[in-house]
Amino acid sequence: MKLVAIVGSNNQVSYNRLLIEFIAKHYPKFHLEKLEVRELPLFNEDIAGVTPAVVEKWTKKINKSDGIIIACPEYNHSVTAALKNAIEWMSYQVHPLKQKPIMILGASTYPQGSSRAQLHLRQILNSPGVDANVFQGQEFLLGQAKTAFDQSNEISDPKTVSFLDDCLQAFAVFVKKVKRGNKGGK
Amino acid sequence: MKLAAIVGTNASHSYNRQLLQYMQRHFADLAQIEVLEINQLPLFQKSLPRDQQSAVWSFKQAIKTADGVIFSSPEYDHSIPAALKSAIEWLSYHCELLDNKPTMIVGASYGPQGSARAQEHLRQILASPDLNAAVLSGNEFLLGNVATVFNEQGELTDKAAVAELEKYFTNFVSFTKLLNQRSPQAALMAIKQPLISEAFVQFPTGKLSLQQIQQIFSTMPFEVDFIDATDHFSWFSDKAERVHVRSVNSLGETVQECHPPLAVPAVEKIISSFKSGEKNLVERCLTLQGHKILIRYYAIRDVNGHYLGTMEFTGNVDHLYELFKNGSFAADVTTGASKKAADSTDSTDAATGASQLDTAASAQPTTSTAPAAPDTTTGASQHQE
Ligand SMILES: Cc1cc2nc3c(=O)[nH]c(=O)nc-3n(C[C@H](O)[C@H](O)[C@H](O)COP(=O)(O)O)c2cc1C
Ligand SMILES: Cc1cc2nc3c(=O)[nH]c(=O)nc-3n(C[C@H](O)[C@H](O)[C@H](O)COP(=O)(O)O)c2cc1C
Repeated sequence: MKLVAIVGSNNQVSYNRLLIEFIAKHYPKFHLEKLEVRELPLFNEDIAGVTPAVVEKWTKKINKSDGIIIACPEYNHSVTAALKNAIEWMSYQVHPLKQKPIMILGASTYPQGSSRAQLHLRQILNSPGVDANVFQGQEFLLGQAKTAFDQSNEISDPKTVSFLDDCLQAFAVFVKKVKRGNKGGK
Repeated sequence: MKLAAIVGTNASHSYNRQLLQYMQRHFADLAQIEVLEINQLPLFQKSLPRDQQSAVWSFKQAIKTADGVIFSSPEYDHSIPAALKSAIEWLSYHCELLDNKPTMIVGASYGPQGSARAQEHLRQILASPDLNAAVLSGNEFLLGNVATVFNEQGELTDKAAVAELEKYFTNFVSFTKLLNQRSPQAALMAIKQPLISEAFVQFPTGKLSLQQIQQIFSTMPFEVDFIDATDHFSWFSDKAERVHVRSVNSLGETVQECHPPLAVPAVEKIISSFKSGEKNLVERCLTLQGHKILIRYYAIRDVNGHYLGTMEFTGNVDHLYELFKNGSFAADVTTGASKKAADSTDSTDAATGASQLDTAASAQPTTSTAPAAPDTTTGASQHQE
């Protein structure tokens, strides 16, 4: 299985990136490849007629993958502009997210752990221009992110690690199902 | 009433911009609407260096000085555009610019739903604790099928939509008036009086009432700003027609916040030279819109020399300059060779004297006391003429 992970924060130090790196380290079977939203220029209809090379690169990587994990931070009860920006690029000239299995998770320094941003992201990914196949049900929220990681960037609470594992295993099953379904359809 | 209307897209053609421009004209008698663009703003990033934040600073100033804000948002992927979200993130990060600010949401879209989902997200975003805007509830204005509702003059042709917008905007004007009434700072500015008008200050050299002090500051030909010892903008003289327009909304800000990003290093340098005792005065001369402006920064110290703050003393010196050119200062009274001032202003002798003095003056540039004077193009403060 080959998954792509999108880090939804453009911060130099990001808990959402740590979360993705944690998954990459402990789940080698996902062959997780990290994409950083900070690589992308700000979307503007004036220039969007020509798809930038970096968006082409994302498109290729996403097309080659079986599914996507998005680490979604929360700013002002919604997704970050930096992440929304990435989605706009992928809903205009190119549509690599179309019917792609996507899992949403997120870390936040506030106690609720990006719950509202995740809800907005679900609605955005379900809009017709994006039309992703969002994995429903499991919601992984890492609140109080400042204390959630230990010195070696491991998640310190075993219950959290085990819940994350449940979510990821369920997503892996979903990705396989979609893949099989796609093959069967051909 | 002054309102800032934010165009919720960075695209150069926008129906949402058209809507705001229409509102600006249509409601000119009710409010002064400034249409603000977000296309100059960089994508929000927590650690973006300050020298790249000039556009952000100007945008924030425009919001700060407005009595209320209008957002006109397109819908991208069932939410607001990233460019608008980014602008809002700038308004929320380390500042409380929208806190309790009267806010109205409108939106236009290509399809029939008129950005309904984006407006819903925008309402939720503006309610988040770091923004806490006072959004007018209800009064939802959704303009669908925008490609067909404006005529060539940019007028809205849909009569029902115009009536709806008029009703909602009138509600917003009342809402804004109501909220701004409650602000104690606004009330304070409105009566133009210090709080305890009966109190006196006994100086070693005499006594003044607070009212007299206030009126002296308002009358003297220079304007004064004060930055306290902890580098916060804490007071400005309430003078009509200031060179640097100040707002009570800026009081309490740090020097880093209240100056344009490019000017901050120069201001910090002046203040640190005052704190260290290296300097007591920095002077700058500049020409602004054809006027000669003199700015002097003074270190204010207590009798023991302990730093209390920085005073910025700014004035238009056109008149002094004219007097000087006319030779009003030509003769030294102490030598006894003086003429009466009235004589000297129209005498040809004085005119000759003036040209000599001009030469002398240019040989001694007035900026000589300020080797560290900041570049005038960066400006130590915003010039809002
Ligand atoms: C402008 C701004 C707004 C924020 N708003 C929220 C919020 O509404 N809810 C929340 O849980 N955290 C909020 N936060 C805190 C973020 O959760 C925190 O910055 C987190 O570290 C971001 O994720 P990252 O570490 O991956 O960059 C906000 C942070 C910023 C800079
Ligand atoms: C990336 C992108 C996504 C869009 N998604 C939506 C949408 O979800 N719903 C909608 O009504 N219109 C959508 N539109 C169309 C906009 O409503 C239309 O471009 C409109 O003219 C934008 O407002 P403006 O004219 O003020 O720029 C989308 C446009 C773009 C460029």
